[in-house]
Amino acid sequence: MSEATSTTAASSAARQSSVFKLTFRLPIIIWQSLFFIGPLCFMVAMSFFIVRNYRMQEDFVMKNWLKMLGRDYFWDSYVLTWGLAGIGTVVTMLVAFPAAYTLAFKASEAVRRWAIFMLIIPFFTSYLVRIFSWYVILAESGVINAGLSYLGLGPFVMLNTKFGTVVGYMTLTLPLVIILQTFALANIDRSLVEAAFNLGCRPFRTIYRVILPMARTGLIIAAVFCFILSFGDFVSPYYLGGSKPPTLPILIVDTVKSGQQWPRAAVVAVVMMVTLFVVAFAGIMAAYRRRVG
Amino acid sequence: MVAPLVEFRSVVKRFDDFVAVERVNFTIEAGEFVAIMGPSGCGKTTTLRMLAGLEAPSEGEVLMEGRVMNDVPAHERDTPLVWQSLALFPFLNARENVEFGLQMRGVAAAERRRRALEWLDRMEIAEFAERDIASLSGGQKQRVALARSLVIEPRILLLDEPLSALDANLVIRMQSVLTKLQRELGITFVYVTHSQSEAFAMADRVVIMSRGHIAQIGSPKDIYRAPANRFVAEFVGRNNIITGTVGKATAKTVTIDGSLGSFTVDLGQHEKPRQGDTARFVVAADLAQISTAKPRRGNAIACSLISEEFIGSVVTLFLEAEDGSELKVQLQERELSKMDLKQAATIYLSWAADQAHYIGAD
Amino acid sequence: MSDNRPLRWFLYGYLALVFTFIFAPILFSVIFSFNSDRFPTIPLGSFTLKWYQTVWNDPDVWEAARTSLTVSLSTATIATLLGFATAYTDYRYSFRLKPVYLGLVLLPPTIPLIIMALAMLAWFAKLGISGQVMSIIIAHSVLTAPFAMAIIRLRLSQMDPSLESAAWNLGASQWSALRRVIVPFCLPAIISSFCLTAAVSFDEFAISWFVSGLNKTIPVIILEIVTGNIDPQVNAIGSFVFLVSMTLVIIAQVVLMTRRKKEV
Ligand SMILES: Nc1ncnc2c1ncn2[C@@H]1O[C@H](COP(=O)(O)OP(=O)(O)O)[C@@H](O)[C@H]1O
Ligand SMILES: [Mg+2]
Repeated sequence: MSEATSTTAASSAARQSSVFKLTFRLPIIIWQSLFFIGPLCFMVAMSFFIVRNYRMQEDFVMKNWLKMLGRDYFWDSYVLTWGLAGIGTVVTMLVAFPAAYTLAFKASEAVRRWAIFMLIIPFFTSYLVRIFSWYVILAESGVINAGLSYLGLGPFVMLNTKFGTVVGYMTLTLPLVIILQTFALANIDRSLVEAAFNLGCRPFRTIYRVILPMARTGLIIAAVFCFILSFGDFVSPYYLGGSKPPTLPILIVDTVKSGQQWPRAAVVAVVMMVTLFVVAFAGIMAAYRRRVG
Repeated sequence: MVAPLVEFRSVVKRFDDFVAVERVNFTIEAGEFVAIMGPSGCGKTTTLRMLAGLEAPSEGEVLMEGRVMNDVPAHERDTPLVWQSLALFPFLNARENVEFGLQMRGVAAAERRRRALEWLDRMEIAEFAERDIASLSGGQKQRVALARSLVIEPRILLLDEPLSALDANLVIRMQSVLTKLQRELGITFVYVTHSQSEAFAMADRVVIMSRGHIAQIGSPKDIYRAPANRFVAEFVGRNNIITGTVGKATAKTVTIDGSLGSFTVDLGQHEKPRQGDTARFVVAADLAQISTAKPRRGNAIACSLISEEFIGSVVTLFLEAEDGSELKVQLQERELSKMDLKQAATIYLSWAADQAHYIGAD
Repeated sequence: MSDNRPLRWFLYGYLALVFTFIFAPILFSVIFSFNSDRFPTIPLGSFTLKWYQTVWNDPDVWEAARTSLTVSLSTATIATLLGFATAYTDYRYSFRLKPVYLGLVLLPPTIPLIIMALAMLAWFAKLGISGQVMSIIIAHSVLTAPFAMAIIRLRLSQMDPSLESAAWNLGASQWSALRRVIVPFCLPAIISSFCLTAAVSFDEFAISWFVSGLNKTIPVIILEIVTGNIDPQVNAIGSFVFLVSMTLVIIAQVVLMTRRKKEV
């Protein structure tokens, strides 16, 4: 009798506990499969669909791939996107470094906390409006040129140039890169840096020989994030870079917004994803590679 | 026959391959103050958690009043635990913390409040009832934790090293608070600790654990005077453990021959060992005597003095025997002052035959 | 390090310059929203509220503001729920496929928005739910849940691991322990993740633009105005958008930083 009650109690307790557990697991798995994995898989599949009479039909043909990859303008876009994102990343990393260095090594704990507090803010505020603001600032009769004209300089053409695009990228990436670099540098054992100075190592040499190698993992991760964000951004190259020739993201926007050629846009998107995956993978390998010697 | 309040029957607890508790058997009667003692990592907390239903036994059964509890979920047991970290809810004030268990039992708000305040008052912290937990001192938090567990009027209270975070003075004070409380309430306390002084000061019975096993169960005096094995003898400390091989043995006594000499020891409850086996016996440091002249009768070991340690009026002498083994003697300072040890080349450590305690081979 | 004053001043100056660069667009957007000239430049024209009046009187903007509000509040609710469930599962359980489970939730932000936008557009069209407010909400929830997860997980890792067991020990079932202990403990993190996910959703334009159909959100309106020509209305709307998202972000950070005093 007591045996029986105890087993039913046991199984009901076990059942309640697994209901509880699954309540936190199943809905998430279903939701994310349906609305995250689903769309991405469908997009890959869509790159093999066909468009007939302005209607997309499910199919499995290589036509879109051959069409896109066979065109010069696609490859021009590809190279351009790489180039812009690459330049953007190098410039952002270089511009951010002295700032992160100051925050990590020179600033007090309170200043560092405040700076990071401030740097988080733009990350969550409208990127679009900030880009539009740059448009006005950088224009031929904009704030900067107006200011320079008092000095008898200019006007300089900054809009619709690669410079404009990179300024746009930096609007997106600079705060994040400074934060990541600051964390990477702040994690370095300070006594090692001081030891290098005491041994007569000059500042730039110390940065190059001691600080950079020790902060490598964090710095590479910052660069990878910066590259991914720049590579996928269509606003800066569109509004500040003039969109001609288009970058890959602009190609997607144009293809989708000007008709039903979604499968071709999907081809571009898949190429972008593969590229970013390879970059991220290479970055992670480089970041966590054991140092030799 | 009335079933004991708690019974562990061949309880095993494994974490993956690691055996944390291995075939543990013991019972606890209603109203007892039991201490579970042992070095860190020996499975004390795991044992306590199984009793509270926070860990399921891998094998065996945990019974309470004859009922198998293995499948009763933690929240359906009345086995409140005072946690090592105290685990007070930081987002509730002291009174709300105490009310928590009552609220879970569906007690109405007014009644809850009344009983919580009553307990806070009893723990002498009524004035802090509406204070944040973070603003209380260590001792005050301790009292809130006790009140929180006791307000639900359990028949058993589990305590997991509750005093380990307090400073020494406070520990002594809380010890007396706890013993007094236990006596007044008449409920069972199961008190886990790695501290011998806490266990011996408070408990009626002590369970000594070693690597998941129970090494001995008994009253503090039993454990102190009659350690069951070498582990307990060493763990309790201030014991001289002497090893040798069994020589002559009768039903009552045995002769143990070792590098320190040949000694005759009472077997006590032990079976007669075989000749040639390894055997050990213990001479408690406070039962041993010293003299500068070799005693005419009884067991004695010639030693030289290494160092002295004074704690209050008690002195511990550390001695070295001729074979290099270290021995200890505890005596009152005034006894020591009668002797002139500094001059003596040899000091003899001796004991009466019935004061040596045989512990067998292990 | 060596006490090198000029270097120190140089570095602080540089830092100030970098912050100027980061905040200049926000600042100018606000300044120009009150400037009377049609093409904003210096010297400034006179002070005016006309851009705000234009925006205020534009029913499309009102409609978009309503949509945006619906989207960001719903997104914040769903994303915080998803984030909480994931954080709690990660905190409490270990199971073989946990990395996959976590990846499922945490990966979306690593995929460029434009790609997510295209994928969502096509997938919602396939499911027959495109062009609705709901589609934006779903997409934004997927996008922002990882932020919620990260914030709440961090908070859980600051919790005394015995706290939940203590609740069970005092008679709380798993559900009541969750409600009475885990949720109150995580409340600051829950509030701040609600604010942050709302802010991200409120500002997001790529996915909204692709999947919104006729239900435009504020960022989509901005995008359309900007594509046409230069119109200082954008500065007025933009200042409003900044105000909303900055408020949300600051609330989020302040709530997280100050320890909660008392639970009622
Ligand atoms: N949840 C767990 N998972 C794995 N090992 C555990 C777990 N809990 C305890 N252990 C191990 O079991 C052993 C006994 O632990 P415990 O009962 O906490 O010891 P103590 O006597 O110090 O309280 C320890 O070695 C500990 O590492
Ligand atoms: Mg323990």
